[in-house]
Amino acid sequence: MIQNMTIFQLASGLTRHATDRQALVAENIANADTPGFKARDLVAFEDSFAAENALAMRGSRTGQISARSETVFTSPFGVESPNGNTVSLEAEMMRSSEIREQHDLALGVYQKSLQILRTSMGRK
Amino acid sequence: MSDLSSSMSTSASGMAAQAARLRLVSENIANADTPGFQRKVMSFEAVSDMFENGGRVQTGPVQLSSAERPQVFDPGHPMADENGYYQGSNVDLMIEIADAREAQRSYEANLKMFDQSRQMTSSILELLRR
Repeated sequence: MIQNMTIFQLASGLTRHATDRQALVAENIANADTPGFKARDLVAFEDSFAAENALAMRGSRTGQISARSETVFTSPFGVESPNGNTVSLEAEMMRSSEIREQHDLALGVYQKSLQILRTSMGRK
Repeated sequence: MSDLSSSMSTSASGMAAQAARLRLVSENIANADTPGFQRKVMSFEAVSDMFENGGRVQTGPVQLSSAERPQVFDPGHPMADENGYYQGSNVDLMIEIADAREAQRSYEANLKMFDQSRQMTSSILELLRR
């Protein structure tokens, strides 16, 4: 059976990660012309999930997946414009479509699991 | 959810800043032939408030460009001095057009981000409707 509803936790963790990342990308793009602004991004979900999982294995955490891992400063293609800004619009666009995919995936998994749960309870 | 709405307001602040920049560009272009006009420039600043408005962008103070204004020789001009010169404006149309194009690109990028945040919000709400 579905143990502890892990799949739902996973899906909501992935959704939250996508949401937080979207907030950062929006910040980066809004500040694409701000002198001295450094582009930021989140650690990839796999990595933060693996770290959380390792903690959970040791029993120091419950299986809760917290999405807000530390932010990392990125310098997309190693380009820094003369005014010290490291935002690259192209890289941000790439990132945002990744986020979109991630978000859709998480919501799809969530919905499907919910359907399966309903079916197993004998409802349509 | 709150993150998505904050990212929408961040994108909106970006659009407002780019719109302000575009307004300055059009002021400069409109006054490209005004004698003695100094080009207006403006810088962007990130809002460093960690609570509510963090990550937004705002426009800095408007400054007058200190680039040298050319002396134009036109003895028939009403503002010409005794040598037949008057002071032109330091607006370079090429620079203004490039600036306007850059503002447009950034505006579009912000708009795209806004749209994406909105779609993500509505797809979450879609889950609730079932």
